[in-house]
Amino acid sequence: MAGSALRRLMAEYKQLTLNPPEGIIAGPVNEENFFEWEALITGPEGTCFEGGVFPAKLVFPPDYPLSPPKMQFTCEMFHPNIYSDGRVCISILHAPGDDPMGYESSAERWSPVQSVEKILLSVVSMLAEPNDESGANVDAAKMWRENRDEFNKIAQRIVRRTLGIPN
Amino acid sequence: MRSIGISLLSFMLTTVVIANAYYQKKQFYPSVVYITKSNPSMAVIYIQAFVVILMFGKLMNRIFFGQLRTAEFEHLMERAWYAVTETCLAFTVFRDDFNPKFVALFTLLLFLKSFHWLAEDRVDYMERSPVISLLFHLRVLSLLTVLGALDMYFVQHAYLSTITKGASVQLVFGFEYAILATMVVNVAIKYALHTVDLNSEMPWENKAVFLLYTELIMGFIKVILYVLFVIIMVRIYTLPLFAFRPMYYTIRNFKKAFNDVILSRRAIHNMNTLYPDATAEELQNADNVCIICREEMVTASKKLPCNHIFHTACLRSWFQRQQTCPTCRLNILQTNIPTAAPRREERPRVPPQPPNPFAAPNLFANPNLFGRNDNANPFAGMNPFQQILNPNEQNQNAANQAPGQAPGPSAPTGGDQNNAQSGSTSNTQTTPNNTIPPMFPPFPPFPFMPFMIPPPLPPEHLRRLTEDELKRLEGQERENVEARIQCLRNIQIMLDTAILMMQQYSAAASFSTITSQVPPPDRSSAASAEAASRETNAPDTNSASDPGDAAPTTSSNANDPQFSATSSADPENNNVEMSTSASPEGPPEDEVRKRRLQHFQRQLEQQQ
Repeated sequence: MAGSALRRLMAEYKQLTLNPPEGIIAGPVNEENFFEWEALITGPEGTCFEGGVFPAKLVFPPDYPLSPPKMQFTCEMFHPNIYSDGRVCISILHAPGDDPMGYESSAERWSPVQSVEKILLSVVSMLAEPNDESGANVDAAKMWRENRDEFNKIAQRIVRRTLGIPN
Repeated sequence: MRSIGISLLSFMLTTVVIANAYYQKKQFYPSVVYITKSNPSMAVIYIQAFVVILMFGKLMNRIFFGQLRTAEFEHLMERAWYAVTETCLAFTVFRDDFNPKFVALFTLLLFLKSFHWLAEDRVDYMERSPVISLLFHLRVLSLLTVLGALDMYFVQHAYLSTITKGASVQLVFGFEYAILATMVVNVAIKYALHTVDLNSEMPWENKAVFLLYTELIMGFIKVILYVLFVIIMVRIYTLPLFAFRPMYYTIRNFKKAFNDVILSRRAIHNMNTLYPDATAEELQNADNVCIICREEMVTASKKLPCNHIFHTACLRSWFQRQQTCPTCRLNILQTNIPTAAPRREERPRVPPQPPNPFAAPNLFANPNLFGRNDNANPFAGMNPFQQILNPNEQNQNAANQAPGQAPGPSAPTGGDQNNAQSGSTSNTQTTPNNTIPPMFPPFPPFPFMPFMIPPPLPPEHLRRLTEDELKRLEGQERENVEARIQCLRNIQIMLDTAILMMQQYSAAASFSTITSQVPPPDRSSAASAEAASRETNAPDTNSASDPGDAAPTTSSNANDPQFSATSSADPENNNVEMSTSASPEGPPEDEVRKRRLQHFQRQLEQQQ
């Protein structure tokens, strides 16, 4: 019998393949290693990220699901909750105990009940509604708050870039 | 591409150097001497040696690992960087015997170290990949054998060299290879565990525990090795700075392993003691999937206080990190242990005569406590007290549990004593029927530190009560409160009776010398009532019931050996004094008891 982390990841992969949530595709990069996944997230409709397809990489720890995976966008992103190198900063990805921004209640942290699907759905809603109180990207947070037009412009440029359309 | 170019260049340079030497000297030995004397030639030769080693490494890598995965390569580079830095630091310690052979040995060490790291990564990978081929097993096994053999050889070599030639740089190598050997053992054990797990049909739940203990033991051995190494190095050479970083990490890992083992043990303990196994019915009612591993729960599963059900093994590994319910984040330690654990854990520490009798009345004011403490009986508090009072009457204790019920022929003796105990309290307080706790400021322990003083033991005589009575006592809220109030009323009636009789008795006693039982020792004034109840036999034995002060009684009894303690007491406060008088209790005579009983029954009837 394979390790419990592997079995759970395989179960999640199966579930995601059979019933994919709308606008989300995810799966292991290579079926020999289930601990590195690739995900494609479409920008939620009615937001400045609408129409974009954003690739991201998920890396699972050996003790998944006891510890949360790490998620990083592999395309350029400009968003208050995404670091400039693409790492995603949302509370569901933080194990209770560590609190990088000092504002999250433990109720919204990682627990084994969470899953890849829930993470990706949270990320979609994060794209739609940035939390400008936790500035992973302070410039983006500032712009989101004070100069929404400019923010939307940058977001639209990123969307076009992910689709391969020249500016 | 670049590495191939460098290799080719180095080969060409070597060829040129050798050809040049041979062209000049024409013979083998002179050419060798020429090359070794010429610095540029030697540099070329060294570079060539380095290239050859790298190529050999690649070859070995291909044989034992095949293509390295990206993560493995990154990991290797990261660790190699530190290792190289530390090797340079080590050079500074041994700068006196710095020579090519020395450098070669260190290079070899680095080389072997990197293979150890790769082996470790590879075996960890076993848990992650669904495809483990036969080639994989073959490679890992042969690699571990080769590495283990090499480590042992080098350790032995270092040992012999140190023994014969004294301490030298071989000391460092000896320790380094010894640590690498422990690493090989660790990896081998992990490999064995993973293999067993892979080949078993069912998930092997204890694997994590075995891994934990392996980690702990190996960490301990490594820590000992490092500490020994540092001590020896300090004594012979100087502080081995290059060993500090790995030593720090080893100690940290050991500490972590130690903590993990403790947490895991605690989790297992909690699991086994606090949470019930989920029944088949409960499993069916839930959707039967463990939310942690997303698999069906056919094997052992546990139910948490919040009614969420998980696999035992999954819960254990989660509780090792956090003591919350994965689903609802209920802190299971805070919700469960205060009611369950202290009772169990502190039981042995209960002192022989701890219960403040007033703790029991206080319990009544807080019936919710009983709702949580299934076993706790409202009269539990009295029970130990009574056991102290009259150990011979254990079999009659049943009456304690339900003083309200019609006293049977044998029961009321115990009962009336208890009632009398509370009676004195109610007597002094004038409103005995209402809430009692606030009236006892000097005896606050129970409400103020509810869990410091363990709740009294549930009486073992509980089963003497009928099913019905038990239900009434334990039943939900209103019913049980009513039942208890009823009990209390009955108690009060009996207490009043007892007080009345006591007055009669003391009056009678003031005129006659009676040898009566002395109240048992207890610091609380409630015991005075006990004494009173014992002395209720007075009206029977001595029909004379002259009203009078009780004080003369005490003083008249002062010469009695059983009242010797009382004699020192202040006669003006005889009720209190009698309670404080500490003298060993003598069991009352059976006859006396019976008569007292009858008398008491009569009194009770009159009251009602």
